[in-house]
Amino acid sequence: MKHELEFRQISKNFAGVPALTDISFSVSEGEVLALVGENGAGKSTLLKILNGDYQPSEGSYLLDGEERHFLSPNEAIGAGIGLIYQERQMFDELSVAENIYVGRLPEKHKVVDYKELNRKAAEIIAEFGLPIEPHRKVKELSVAMQQMVEIMKVYSRNPRVLAFDEPTACLSDKEAEVLFELIGRLKEKGLIIIYVSHRMNEIFRLADKIVVLKDGAFVAMHDKKDTDENSLVNQMVGRPLGSMFADQIERKEGMETALKVEGLSGRDFWDIDFEVKKGEVLGFFGLVGAGRTELMRAVFGADPVLAGTIEVNGTRQNIDSVEKAIRLGIAYCSEDRKNEGIIPLCSVKENMSLVILKRLCSGMFIRGKKEQDFAKENVEKFRVRTSTIDKRIYQLSGGNQQKVLLARWLAMNPEILILDEPTKGIDVGAKSEIYRMIQEIAAQGVAVIIVSSELPEVIGLSDRIYIMRHGKIAGEVGRKEAEEELILRYAMLEEVEG
Amino acid sequence: MTLKILKKAGQQILTSNLLGLFIVMIVMTVVFTALNPGYLTGKNLLNILTAASLSGLIAIGESYLIISGQIDLSPGAVAAFAGVLSGLLAQKGVPFILIVPITLCVGALFGSVNAFQVNVLKIQPFIASLAIMSIARGLAYIMCGGKPVFISQEAYIKVGITRILGIPLPVIILIVSFLVFGVILGKTRFGRNVYATGGNAAAARLAGIRIHQIKFKLFVISACMASLGGIILASRMNTGQPSAGQNVDFDAITASVLGGIAMTGGTGSLSGTFLGVLILQGFNNGLLLLNISTFWQDVARGLLMMFALTFDYFRKKKREI
Repeated sequence: MKHELEFRQISKNFAGVPALTDISFSVSEGEVLALVGENGAGKSTLLKILNGDYQPSEGSYLLDGEERHFLSPNEAIGAGIGLIYQERQMFDELSVAENIYVGRLPEKHKVVDYKELNRKAAEIIAEFGLPIEPHRKVKELSVAMQQMVEIMKVYSRNPRVLAFDEPTACLSDKEAEVLFELIGRLKEKGLIIIYVSHRMNEIFRLADKIVVLKDGAFVAMHDKKDTDENSLVNQMVGRPLGSMFADQIERKEGMETALKVEGLSGRDFWDIDFEVKKGEVLGFFGLVGAGRTELMRAVFGADPVLAGTIEVNGTRQNIDSVEKAIRLGIAYCSEDRKNEGIIPLCSVKENMSLVILKRLCSGMFIRGKKEQDFAKENVEKFRVRTSTIDKRIYQLSGGNQQKVLLARWLAMNPEILILDEPTKGIDVGAKSEIYRMIQEIAAQGVAVIIVSSELPEVIGLSDRIYIMRHGKIAGEVGRKEAEEELILRYAMLEEVEG
Repeated sequence: MTLKILKKAGQQILTSNLLGLFIVMIVMTVVFTALNPGYLTGKNLLNILTAASLSGLIAIGESYLIISGQIDLSPGAVAAFAGVLSGLLAQKGVPFILIVPITLCVGALFGSVNAFQVNVLKIQPFIASLAIMSIARGLAYIMCGGKPVFISQEAYIKVGITRILGIPLPVIILIVSFLVFGVILGKTRFGRNVYATGGNAAAARLAGIRIHQIKFKLFVISACMASLGGIILASRMNTGQPSAGQNVDFDAITASVLGGIAMTGGTGSLSGTFLGVLILQGFNNGLLLLNISTFWQDVARGLLMMFALTFDYFRKKKREI
């Protein structure tokens, strides 16, 4: 008999607020089912019900026709249901083998049998065909390989169902490739695979079936061959999207240089030269770990500069602190929204006003009315979906949090705006809105730098693109020559000819 | 059905901050008054407030620190140090008008060293302030040779016994301090930056907030409030006691958490802390009126801390849903 997983009329409420209503569908072995929908559509909630993290308010799910209830992820994994979380949950200081078998280390005479442990781990690694040694510490591995260890950990318990929650969010294209091949092989082994992602090309490449969720409700289930990107996006957001990128305005030549960096070196980047003009959108592409974030943090005064010079509006500046950078009109919106962006327990209003609070004060006192007006105006302007400006920001979806952060930085009227992975992990609707905002900002004469690992995004937005590799600039391409293949070659290969 | 309503009401009370505290306070008052009618009298309420003046002042600094993601275990020892130092200064004939600023400045030094350890040496505030606690307490004993310092200076003693409109000066100082620092926390840019630092220090730094400077100020405020409390206590007792303030940091932390300040930082208010202080002192006072041994008070103190942390747990759980 074929293994089969069926969701039957699953509903979930949080304190009376419905997060999922009446979800039913099924998937059988050897199939990859992709779950798509905007942020807040209920994808993660459904996965957490599947692995016993949450209990459904109503309905149930069946594995091989048998109704199952799991009270914890541990129970679920024991019964063959594994979830690969977005954030890796590893013990950095332990070895690969120890991480894979954590909690189940083989013992001999009451002590850990490392020989046996490493042998078993090596077997799994060989099965996956990965270049990892079992005794290496996890912290020495790349992000992608750490993720593979996480998958092996779940896989070693012989699951029948494997669910992935946005596994490529932190991976570069090349690293993602390794993951896709692996998923293909797991599928052939007869696993049931559930895959959550925001990236359409991945979904169309991997999935056999696609389930669309919207606002916690089931919209449709498609076979891959019966649908296309546009109609999916349509169903997710309930409106046609058209092109995500507005047509670019032809820029006048001879604009002033806003930021010029020469010979800059710091932690993880060396001898970097680049410049960005007012009104220009400059893209920075590269694989994860290429040194882009480190470079931008140094320009923003958050990390030390070891050598080289930075010129802002033609004047050489020694940017040794974030306050100095902000005073010079530089804004930097971090790639790590959760750890370096939002203040989770503060309200939407308080998060928005953080950088320009001084302007909303008389003396040391915050002028409440002024701050409220400021927040209300920006919530509207940036189309932040929130019931009130006093809601704590962690309660908003990722896309709406990102809009609040954009508002925070744009409020200071920056001359140079650095956006690090501005659309990481956010839904398509919010994405296109953010793209539109970026183009508007540049049109107003702000120099914008976009750091991104998503090629279509970099190509769609940028006037020029710098490509970084191993902490150095590997190449520069203009808008007209910007093709995915060329850029990827710069990012990945040692020598690019022609 | 009724069970469901009761359960829901229970959740409401546990998670809604001030309402829950008021209910706790009323229940406590009713119980103690039933056991001893002397509990709910104007005189006794003033007693409670006067007794709260030290732990209350310290709770202000402690609340600020906990909101910013820090903690300070040294204020009790710093208060004792301040009491002894100011007593010795009074014996040497230094006028009271100079004693207060000198003591506060010396006290502030402890706060600065605390901040130095945390900001520069990256030591956990828990351990850093533990070191200061031991140093301050030790110095207090050394300065006076282990003997209480008797204070006879008139101006000094007056602080503890002066009444304005029948209200003791220490109580007025306590209430005014809560009002002033409450407004600073809730309405000023500095206050907002304290929340931001505790809520997410990395994000606050990237937003241009000087988090080291904030922490420095907070440790200094904490030490100054402790010194002020130490002077007031010495005045009420006519003595600078090197052994004073043994449990007040504990009480201040309990009051803060009871009042809704999350141990993880980033949220809470001083109005909650004030109610927390009242509950704590009211409880101690009630036990005292019932002639329960002071040893039991230690047990009660621990139980209250557990109770406060349970509160904190439920609030945190609610936030996570």
